Amino acid sequence: MASKLDTEKVREALRRFTRRQMMELDTCAHCALCTENCPAYADSKIPNYAPGVRSSKTLRLINKQFGLRARLLGPNPIKADEVADLADSAFNCTLCGRCMETCPFGFQTHELWTGVRCLVYELDGTLPRVKMLDQMLRETQNPYGLQAEMRLDWADYTGLEDVHVKDRADVAYFVGCTTAFKGANHEVAYSIASILNQLGEDWTLLAEDEWCCGSPLLLAGNEEGAREFAEHNVEALEARGVKTVITGCAGCFRVFKWEYPKLLGRRPSFKVIHAVEYLRDKLVAGELKPDLLRANVAYHDPCELSRLGGVIEAPREALRRLAQGLVELPEHGIDVRCCGGGGLLQAANNDLRLSIVKRRLDQAVEVGAEILTSACPACKLAFVDGIRASRCEIEVLDVMELAARQLGLL
Amino acid sequence: MNSLITFFYTFFVEKLPYITIAIFLLGAALRATRWMSAPKDPEKSQISVTAAVKYIILDVVFFRKTFKSDKVIWLIIFLFHIAAGGILFGHMRGFHIWSAEMFAPLGEWVAEFMVETLPVYMGWLFIATQILLLIRRVLLEDRRLASLPNDYLALILLLITSILGQGMRIFPPEAIPTHTYSVVFIPGLIVLHLEKVPSFHWFFLHILFTQLFIMYIPFSKLVHIFSGVITSALYGSRRSEYGL
Repeated sequence: MASKLDTEKVREALRRFTRRQMMELDTCAHCALCTENCPAYADSKIPNYAPGVRSSKTLRLINKQFGLRARLLGPNPIKADEVADLADSAFNCTLCGRCMETCPFGFQTHELWTGVRCLVYELDGTLPRVKMLDQMLRETQNPYGLQAEMRLDWADYTGLEDVHVKDRADVAYFVGCTTAFKGANHEVAYSIASILNQLGEDWTLLAEDEWCCGSPLLLAGNEEGAREFAEHNVEALEARGVKTVITGCAGCFRVFKWEYPKLLGRRPSFKVIHAVEYLRDKLVAGELKPDLLRANVAYHDPCELSRLGGVIEAPREALRRLAQGLVELPEHGIDVRCCGGGGLLQAANNDLRLSIVKRRLDQAVEVGAEILTSACPACKLAFVDGIRASRCEIEVLDVMELAARQLGLL
Repeated sequence: MNSLITFFYTFFVEKLPYITIAIFLLGAALRATRWMSAPKDPEKSQISVTAAVKYIILDVVFFRKTFKSDKVIWLIIFLFHIAAGGILFGHMRGFHIWSAEMFAPLGEWVAEFMVETLPVYMGWLFIATQILLLIRRVLLEDRRLASLPNDYLALILLLITSILGQGMRIFPPEAIPTHTYSVVFIPGLIVLHLEKVPSFHWFFLHILFTQLFIMYIPFSKLVHIFSGVITSALYGSRRSEYGL
């Protein structure tokens, strides 16, 4: 018989849903209109991964404890199996937020599903691999379990000579773990650093003092852990008198810009911009003069930068000044189809991630793209893995790499 | 037997409306308490009224997002809501909110169309779209969705109510009074004025199911009639906050 969970603990965990989220769960008509556009469902056809099913299951748990029947006859116990089933649904999701854009009622699903993950986390139902990731983050402050001294290895590997690690600077380049520790992204860091150097910015890295932005902790459901990481990073940046934080990672950008104020209950003293916004500004101002590439370049909007971050036009404006043939992918901008690289799906279900990325790569091939660009290290990794798995002939570059290349820096 | 039927029919008209209103208000209060007792959302920038109104119009009135996702479903849902709105509007005439004479300046045939022809078509459209939505839900069940019992109950209750309402229209009336026939639900507050006295069984069962439906609104997904407007407004405001 499946074990029943401690009622008080369950009730406490279920109380985490905010007013808006409760309203959303109660309003969800389970119309399934979100389903076909959900990359996890579309590429698996597993009902449990459909957003509407997740909503039903979450509401069932809430109603077992706080529904009308529970009020009149007492709460119904929740079994560990039910939490495991909800965890399976919650983590087989890229948290891309596409369901928000298809929901007729406009539910802010990214936050809702993150809340479900937090619920699962608090009820100890997190998937084993996600639990390992959470553990590694708490021990090493990065999701790869690597030592902090290795945060600057990318500079050695790429041969960057002018590395700035200062006590005070106007601009901080927040590299992010997936850029700093994953070889496929080292040249992204190199490109951003080189452009900052070329423009003579007063910039710095946090180096060993940089902790993970906290995004993977939030995605794992560990809100408290994310808050601790946010406090550390903000403190480190404010102590250096930083006015602007630039990051090339869509996940770091979203968390810094949109989640840190919520986690900390205040706005940090610095401004946060994504590297593509910085690049666009400098290109528009004529401070950077790249050669125009003659090739068909497609841009994949990272979900966390576009739909969930609010940056859609800046990379396109930059790309129009870098390449002659900017081609649009079929589902783009606010309606972007996720590449599969987000939401810790790699840890939860890598096969599903690869099948999602294959669909996106196929779309890029269909529009005749020779180079597929993005502005997120997780997207780049997903595309690189997808190309390896499907032997697709397309070059994958970060917008910043393409810029550095056209500026003769890479 | 007749006295029992008379008792029930009288009950549906004279007593049940009070119970319906009480249950509806209680349900609404319970629902509001449930939402308000949840933690507040983290502080956000101010609600953008312009964006909220814009997305209420686009998403609640025109079902923009459904149109983007699935044109066929959009058509069914749009027609379903048009029919629902039309039927609701039609009922308002019985409560003297509007009258056929208001359309008379547009021509006698327009007024007749508004009160005789259109309601019948709206009724069929309403029933047909509900059946399509019910079939869709059954077909998608276990493949794409895991409906809660109340998802079905709401739809079935509405379907029964509308079939009974349509029955009243298509079956011959019981009588045509010289003046309007008044059905007093709540004296001085809710009085229905009928030009034709419909078949009593259809009429009283329609009244019963309509009230069951109204009672059920705050306890079911039908709450989206109200909350869907709020969530769409919040979505619109978020887009504005994010510069989208």
